Amino acid sequence: MSDSKTTTPVPPAAAAPARAQREGSSSLGTFGVKSGLAQMLKGGVIMDVVNAEQARIAEEAGACAVMALERVPADIRADGGVARMSDPHMIKVLPSVVLRNRSIHLPATANMRSGYDTSHGELWAYLDQRNRNLTLDSKAKVRIGHFVEAQILQQIGVDYIDESEHSFKIPFVCGARNLGEALRRISEGAAFIRTKGEAGTGNVVEAVRHQRAVDMEIRKASEIQAPFHLLKETARLKRLPVVSFAAGGIATPADAALMMQLGCDGVFVGSGIFKSGDAAKRARAIVQAVTHYNNPKILADCSENLGEAMVGLSIDANLKGGRLAERGW
Amino acid sequence: MSVTIGVLALQGAFAEHQKRLQSLRLKRPIVSILVKTPDDLQRCDALIIPGGESTTIALLARLAGLIEPLKEFIRNKPVWGTCAGAILLSQSVTGAKKDGQELLGGVSVDIARNGWGSQVESFEAALEVKGLREPTVPFTGIFIRAPVVLGFAPDASIQILARLPPRLLPEPLADENDDARTVVALRQGKHLLTTFHPELTQDDRFHDYFARKCVFPTLLAS
Repeated sequence: MSDSKTTTPVPPAAAAPARAQREGSSSLGTFGVKSGLAQMLKGGVIMDVVNAEQARIAEEAGACAVMALERVPADIRADGGVARMSDPHMIKVLPSVVLRNRSIHLPATANMRSGYDTSHGELWAYLDQRNRNLTLDSKAKVRIGHFVEAQILQQIGVDYIDESEHSFKIPFVCGARNLGEALRRISEGAAFIRTKGEAGTGNVVEAVRHQRAVDMEIRKASEIQAPFHLLKETARLKRLPVVSFAAGGIATPADAALMMQLGCDGVFVGSGIFKSGDAAKRARAIVQAVTHYNNPKILADCSENLGEAMVGLSIDANLKGGRLAERGW
Repeated sequence: MSVTIGVLALQGAFAEHQKRLQSLRLKRPIVSILVKTPDDLQRCDALIIPGGESTTIALLARLAGLIEPLKEFIRNKPVWGTCAGAILLSQSVTGAKKDGQELLGGVSVDIARNGWGSQVESFEAALEVKGLREPTVPFTGIFIRAPVVLGFAPDASIQILARLPPRLLPEPLADENDDARTVVALRQGKHLLTTFHPELTQDDRFHDYFARKCVFPTLLAS
């Protein structure tokens, strides 16, 4: 078990150049630092929040980080449309809870799935983790969906950007459905991977499928469209070479523990918490379930009396809002 | 006889610590276990509190009924805290969240979360560390939103193991050799405290140090 949960970060071949060298023996934004940021989140729960009140509930419940969204996936599914970057004001009011007040200092992730299709547009850029500005540079190649949103988010000081439609450099969380997709994202610079799952459904089945696919493919790693050195490293470690979380459809403590037993390092919970009857209680229960994923007694205790769970949707052809995983969610 | 070193496994980078412990080859074999419950803790001769989110770790410790057993453990047995673990081991924390950060105490320091501010919160630095195996080889300190030691309790028997070199400090200090804020690794008796993450490197010398200098002598003495 210990082996499968250990992350030995390997820099991607196309790693961003060592940068911001401080005088001689210190450096910022190295791969060790970038992946280290993600490693500190392991064994934890990252919660989607859309306002400061939810961020506070997440913190009280023991979330290790929050993800600021304009709308949670369940609402996007119900109302249609795309998920944009959060209103910067919303992220700025989070600071009182999360960002600016580093005494609390939950890392904040912001969403910038823009629906803005620039898959053919390229921008040469890298994000400087140290001063959190988007810095244009000619060395690391990045295709960014909506780079203006990225600039805004960096300006106001988010810690990670979640982006699965386009490739990024720097510690970005990317969704993946299988090993090939995961390793391609890592080779593009992702230091943090999650399952795509089927967001906003309260149905964990797709997340399970993606995690199992990754796991099975790691066991027989052939015919995978991925950089060979990363494939080799993955085979050696018998796990993804970066931190890897579950995401998409997690609604109960049991869902969260299931994903942990399948080998994930932690979980993202979106609609599952704030679309349920008692968000604070459920949030805390899911946090406990991730820690004690192998302890059925604690799992049984923390699953009790949580009130109503979010409505679970069947993932079939009639799924309202369609498959977000296909959109790159 | 083997020695059992536990790693508090509530949240954070605990698997990495276990991996480093497993790579040690010492006279006395080390058994490493993950600690999630008071029963797990009872099996341990020593404990490592890893990096992660210190408020999350403290909350989970409370929910698991571990706060009092941990305080008791720290009174009697060697404990090493890295980053968030260092915060939890401190006597007081400056800049904690509103209703206070729950601490375990045990080491007589006052510490600040993310004390250098966002400009230098995450970086690597080559450190000279006293007492490590091969002391002339610098140790790569990976600092991830590192806490900063603000001061020591008077007459506390603190042994400073490593400081950030003056040229790496974000701002000049009046007297960098006497300023607690430059201290990144220290010992007080059987306890070890590092504000950075030795477990994120492949270098096991800090784990070796903890076992040889903090754990083995305490076992012999008891």
